[in-house]
Parts: sequence; C-alpha cells; structure tokens
Amino acid sequence: MRVDEFQSWGRVQSVRSPCLDLWWLPDRMPLDAATKRLAYGLGRSYGDSCLLSGGVMIRTAGLNRFISFDSERGVLRAEAGVTLSGILQLVVPQGWFLPMTPGTRFVTLGGAVANDIHGKNHHRAGTIGCHVRRLRLLRSDGSSLECGPGENDRAFRAAIGGLGLTGLILWVEIQLVRTPSAWLDVELIPFTGVKEFMVLSDESAKAWEHTVAWFDATARGSGFARGIYIRGNFRADGLGDRPPRKVHRPPGLRVPFLLPNWTLNSLSVKAFNFLYFHRVPKSGRKLIQHYEPFFYPLDAVDGWSKIYGRRGFFQYQSVTPEEAGVQPLEEMARAIALSGEASFLAVLKTFGPRPSPGMLSFPKPGITLALDFPNRGASTLRLFDTLDAIVRAAKGRLYPGKDSRMSAADFRAGYPALTEFLPEVDPAFSSDFWKRVAPV
Amino acid sequence: MTTDTPSLNTVVFGGTSAIARAILCAAARERSLRVLLIGRNAQRLQSVKDDLIARGVAADFHCADPSDLTIDWDAVVQAALPGRIDLFLVAHGELPEQEAVLQDARRLAQTLQVNFLSPAVIASSCIRVLQRQGQGTLAVLGSVAGDRGRGSNFVYGSAKAGLDTLLEGWRHRLVGMPAIRLVTIKPGVTDTPMTAHLPKGPLFTSAEKVGLLSWKAISKGVPVAYVPGWWRLVLAVICLVPRKIFYRTKL
Repeated sequence: MRVDEFQSWGRVQSVRSPCLDLWWLPDRMPLDAATKRLAYGLGRSYGDSCLLSGGVMIRTAGLNRFISFDSERGVLRAEAGVTLSGILQLVVPQGWFLPMTPGTRFVTLGGAVANDIHGKNHHRAGTIGCHVRRLRLLRSDGSSLECGPGENDRAFRAAIGGLGLTGLILWVEIQLVRTPSAWLDVELIPFTGVKEFMVLSDESAKAWEHTVAWFDATARGSGFARGIYIRGNFRADGLGDRPPRKVHRPPGLRVPFLLPNWTLNSLSVKAFNFLYFHRVPKSGRKLIQHYEPFFYPLDAVDGWSKIYGRRGFFQYQSVTPEEAGVQPLEEMARAIALSGEASFLAVLKTFGPRPSPGMLSFPKPGITLALDFPNRGASTLRLFDTLDAIVRAAKGRLYPGKDSRMSAADFRAGYPALTEFLPEVDPAFSSDFWKRVAPV
Repeated sequence: MTTDTPSLNTVVFGGTSAIARAILCAAARERSLRVLLIGRNAQRLQSVKDDLIARGVAADFHCADPSDLTIDWDAVVQAALPGRIDLFLVAHGELPEQEAVLQDARRLAQTLQVNFLSPAVIASSCIRVLQRQGQGTLAVLGSVAGDRGRGSNFVYGSAKAGLDTLLEGWRHRLVGMPAIRLVTIKPGVTDTPMTAHLPKGPLFTSAEKVGLLSWKAISKGVPVAYVPGWWRLVLAVICLVPRKIFYRTKL
C-alpha cells in the first residue's frame, strides 16, 4: 500500500501513513479486520481527530458524486466526499441553500457530519446533524447500515459527531432550505466587553438568522474584549438573482508556500486586529453582501493556514453553558491578553437550544469562543492549561474537531453521553485524538 | 440547465473517466445536456449517471468495452442515442506501470491498444458520423506525455502521440467542413484515479479544473488545447532542449 503524508489543518501534527484512496462507493473494505483505519476528507479538522498513526488512512475526497437531488423538496443525497462548495454550486441556482454552513465551504459532507459542524445560524438551526435525513455506514465487519432519525437510531446518533469512529460514512442525505436570494443584508456593530456582546446577541437572536462576533483578544485597557458583532439575513427581494443566480467563484488568491514562523507575531496580529476593529465606524455599518464573503471570507485565500508558518497553529474552541454567564469568557479574555500569545482570529457566538441528535455533538446552549494561536510550543500550551481550568470550572467543554491536546479527563467530563457512544464504536476505527481521550 | 437552448447530445467513450465527468459537470452548468456514457463497469456507470441526473443532465449508459475493436460503435450509438450527435468525447485510456509493460510484450500491446488503437478506431468512426451529419464536435483526450518521448513514460506517451497525429491529419482533411470540429485535449498531470499511485507535486491540477478548461476549449472548438494552458509553454521548452542535455535529465 502506498504511503503518504497527512496533515491536519493546524499543521501542528502530521502522520505518514499507508493510504487507501476511495474513488467509488465500496461494497466492502479491502482491509483485514485487525487493521486500524480512519476516513480522511479534506483535512480541515484542526487537530488530530482527522489523523491516525499506525493504521490506514482512507481518503474519501474521490467519493464526490451526487446520488440524487429532488429540486422540488430540496432533498439531496450525496457521497461522503462531496464538498459543501460543490453542493452550493448545484443548489444555489435552483433557489436552495445549506441548512447551516461553517466558515469554510471546503469541507466534505462526511466530515461535516462526523464533526456535527455548526454555523452562524446555530441559535436557530442547530447543527448539521439536525438536518440529516439518512446516512449509510460501512462497518469493518463487512456489514453496511442505513440509519436516520428513528431508524437504527443509536447508530445514527453515534455517527453524528462521532468523529468517524463508528464506521465509514458512505453517503449522507440532507434537507436543504429555500433561500430567497444569494445575497444578505448585513450589519456590523462594534462593541466593547463581553457584556455588550451579550446584549447584542440577545437583541439579535429573534430577528437575525446569522450572527457571530469577531473579537480582539489582544487589546488591553479600555479596548479590552472589544469586537465587531456581525449579523445577517438573506434578502427577501431576490436582489441580484436574475437567473442564473450567482454562485461563488474559486479562490482568487493562494498562499504558495509556508510563510516564516514570525509572520504572525504579537505586533502584526495586534496591528491587524486594530485595523479590523477600526474599519467599522462607532455607529456601525450596513451593507449588502453576497453569501461568499459573508460566510467564507477566508476561502478567498487558498491555503490561508500557511501564513502560520512551519510550526503551524492551534485552534482552541470552547463552549461554556448559559448558566455560567459572561464570567468565564471575561476570565479567558483576560488570561489571553495577559499571556501575550497573539490570537489572530477570535470568534464569539451564542449557541441556541436546538439539540442535535449526535451523542458527541459539541454545541450546547451557551457561548462559544474560538481562538487561533500560532504554535509557540510550551508557552502556548501553558495558556491552554489556564483556559482549560476556566472551562472546566464553568462546566463547559472543548470541540474535538479543533482539538489536538485536550485531556481524557476533560473529554469525559465534557461529554457525559460517552458511555452511550462507546458500544457504537467500530473497533477497527480509531484516530490519534481517540487514542488520547478514549477510556481504557 | 436552461431549457431555451436545445440539448447538447453527447456520447462519451470511457464514461467513468474522472476528466470526462468533470467536463460534463462544467458543461451542465452552462447548458442542457443529453449524455450517453459508454464503459465497462455498469455499477460505476450507474454512479456517474445518477450524479449527472442530479445535475439536471438527461443521462444514460451503455455497457461495452471501448477497447473492443470488433464492436460497431456507429450502430451502438444510433441505437442508444438516436438523432444528431453534437459532441463525441473519447476519454478512455490507462496509465500502465511502464517497467512492467516493457518486460511483457502482451502488456505492451494491450497498452497500445487501449491508448491508441481503440481511441483511433473510435475517433475515426465518430468522424464518419460527423461527416454524415455535416457538423458536430469530436474531443479526444490526449496528453502532454505525447509531445516528446521521455524515458519514464514513453509507451503511454507514444500512444498519445499517435492519437495526436491522427487527429491532426483528420483536421487537415476536413478543412473544407468548418462545422466539424476536432479538439485534442492535452491535460498535464491531473489528480485522478489514473494517477493515484504517483506522488503529488505542484504541477498537479484537479480534475475539476481540467474539466472546466477542457469544456471551454471544446465549446470554442480549439484544435489543440493544453490544460492548463501553461503546459504549452512547458512542452515547447521540453521539445526544444537539445538531445545532449535532454538525455541527462530524468524526466
């Protein structure tokens, strides 16, 4: 078997591993039952949940065909390697949109389900798992299982957010949503402090479908925890939609090679954050935006993560429950500002109450904070220990899809449904993440 | 997808080819298509057919081995997709492991049959249909490997070179029939199942991009299209390198 190098999006970890390329939906896997394996789509998981050392990596990007599309009812069935980008290209001209979307369209459908991803409309739409009608799993014992809400329900709830550990996802059927337009009405509103963010968040939850906040994790003093609240609704008037409805374009720019490690230092990140904050006037700004820059600003630059250089970067995403209030977020913001570790992209978002069917689904009602940090080794990891303690005390949890270092104890404490999940794990599937956190 | 223009009636030899499918996907975004896929593996052809139908294409398939020289393709096509054919796409082929082929005369013959003899025969049969119709397009997947024999890949390359020469001859012959267009597509290294065993370098292009650029060339009727276009320059340089220097390289 051919050996290839696999990286995760943060590029802190990589593995050299035998690989199996899938180009056609398999009836059975050409691997013996003792071989550990893991599906790998586009490698957009940030940490080690998409990597397996000492086993076979199954590349699924070649499983990129649609199986059926009902353009009347908006029901799409597609092979697991189809990308969200490919789906949008097909469905947007016909007046449909993804029920939710993450901040990049370059993820596979199988990966999206395995991580039970969320987007800017989580407070209303929940995770992608809420919109999956059916899926098919191929298990290592040769059996193949179709499941959905109410049908093989346990296997279904384990596969949603199951990190690819319950079998290979072959295809997924999702329910799309009607969209009146490919354009959104967008408002940008500056805020200072987590409390102001909360006020904006409460005020926007009802009337705005998509909400998120960018926040400056480097500012201290009077600018502490300042940010820009972003909210958007698809336009109702079909502006710019004379057929054919405009679809996104491929990335215009590309980072051709790894930039030096020092590119993102505390000064350049501070400068970026300062400029980003001040580009919006105090009174806020209203604009009409196409879905591409609104949902996928970073997709315009192919391979943007290379700006972090050879050492790569970590993503740290937590959710702290509603009951804990703003205090843990303020504590985290303070710890970050004091640490001098520069977070280039910090995002705040309020999760809503809609439960996901997924047993190991990450979102729960509360506030999520996502942070990028260049990998500076020990000092970065020390900051994470501090943040862990805050999240733990608030009874929050971390996002496995972005993690590369959470402890087994924190994973167990954060995901009480783990006991329900364990019997559903396919013994031949594993990942470096799983090896670290799985109860022995 | 739009219904105001008549469907482009298309026949694809090598219906499971990743590049052929990418070309069809690009075409389907621009106009309505009726497609007949010809290939060996019914299950795979069914997947491609389902995908095309989801994209709004009226697709069907016929199971037959394109490298079978005894089949009367004209009759097959007439039975499965009657009426005028606007586009023939000859896309079948295989990239063998050259060392093994050089050791085994039968495999050598088979490689030449799949990559030259069969597409040459099919292309000529398609051209007769186009002549009868007085119009239409034939697109054939060649390769940049056909421009100069290189030590690492000259068996496959020579087959593609033969195909290139055959089509150039046909173009010369059909010069009085401008409504018939013959397109040789020369992709560079493309990320497809055929090249899955090769290490991926920066020269690799995605099948999706190759499909889009090829479709542009086909709809314009470009005689010889390198995809992406910069391969034309690369190959021009490679062809100009004097033998003394060329033989020292390991291309």
